[in-house]
Amino acid sequence: MNVGLNLILAASAALFAVGAFAGIARRSAVQMLIGTQFMFIAGCIAFVAFARFGLGAGNATSGAAVAIFAGATAVAELAVGLAMAALIFREHRSLAVDADRG
Amino acid sequence: MPLIGALPQPITSAPLVILIYAVLLLMVASALASVVLRNTLYAIGAFAATMVLVALLYLTIAPFLLFAAQLLVFTTVSVALLVALLRQTAGLESTQEPLSREWIVGAAVAAALLALLIVVIATTSWPVRATTSAAAGFGATLTNTYVVGLAVLVVILASAALGSALLLVAPTLPSPRGGGSPRPRAPRR
Repeated sequence: MNVGLNLILAASAALFAVGAFAGIARRSAVQMLIGTQFMFIAGCIAFVAFARFGLGAGNATSGAAVAIFAGATAVAELAVGLAMAALIFREHRSLAVDADRG
Repeated sequence: MPLIGALPQPITSAPLVILIYAVLLLMVASALASVVLRNTLYAIGAFAATMVLVALLYLTIAPFLLFAAQLLVFTTVSVALLVALLRQTAGLESTQEPLSREWIVGAAVAAALLALLIVVIATTSWPVRATTSAAAGFGATLTNTYVVGLAVLVVILASAALGSALLLVAPTLPSPRGGGSPRPRAPRR
């Protein structure tokens, strides 16, 4: 038993699928934003895995650098998204993004 | 680039392998819990656990600085932002029915996406290049090779902080359907 590129990529794919599920199935703005965070993190993990095990190993620090940039961008996206969720709550007294429906 | 060093090898040390398997399983399970749980506070807790487990994964396969950034910056800031939103609102319980139409569609799309990614991962023979030391000079790489990216990132983070602060202090605009009142509406008879 060992840990290689395929195992980490499979876990990354699973995390991406969980994020996609949250984006499609959930109506709560908080959980949709958490889902987008998971999709960002899945990309970061894939970059780090390629830098450790694959083609990126020729310049091993680049994968980690991209992960730093993507993580910080995800946090910035979360900050703006949560501010928008707070505005939705002020308007509709609910965090559901489709509070207008029905 | 000249090929210097050995080809990257899979991790074979038994304790490390067991640790990585456990971290990956717990990471996916806690991520699933955070999108399935109906209580938002519990969902945020599961999200924080996922972020910590991602940091642990980085500790095993990436430079230490990435682990530190993931644990101390990304996890802390994300959870603080989510808890700050919860303090402004009272929406702890989801009103969505379990196994609603959205859940079935979302599960189907996520399963199809996962199957596609797994097929691509399993059938592709990923190219391998000789490795260099990942630990050496990560900070130097960030400040030399990616100095423009780092500057852009600072601008993005500052803009996001400023923008979200402005959104929070902005007055609520009246909506065409009569919303915008800070008071809850009276129930219909």
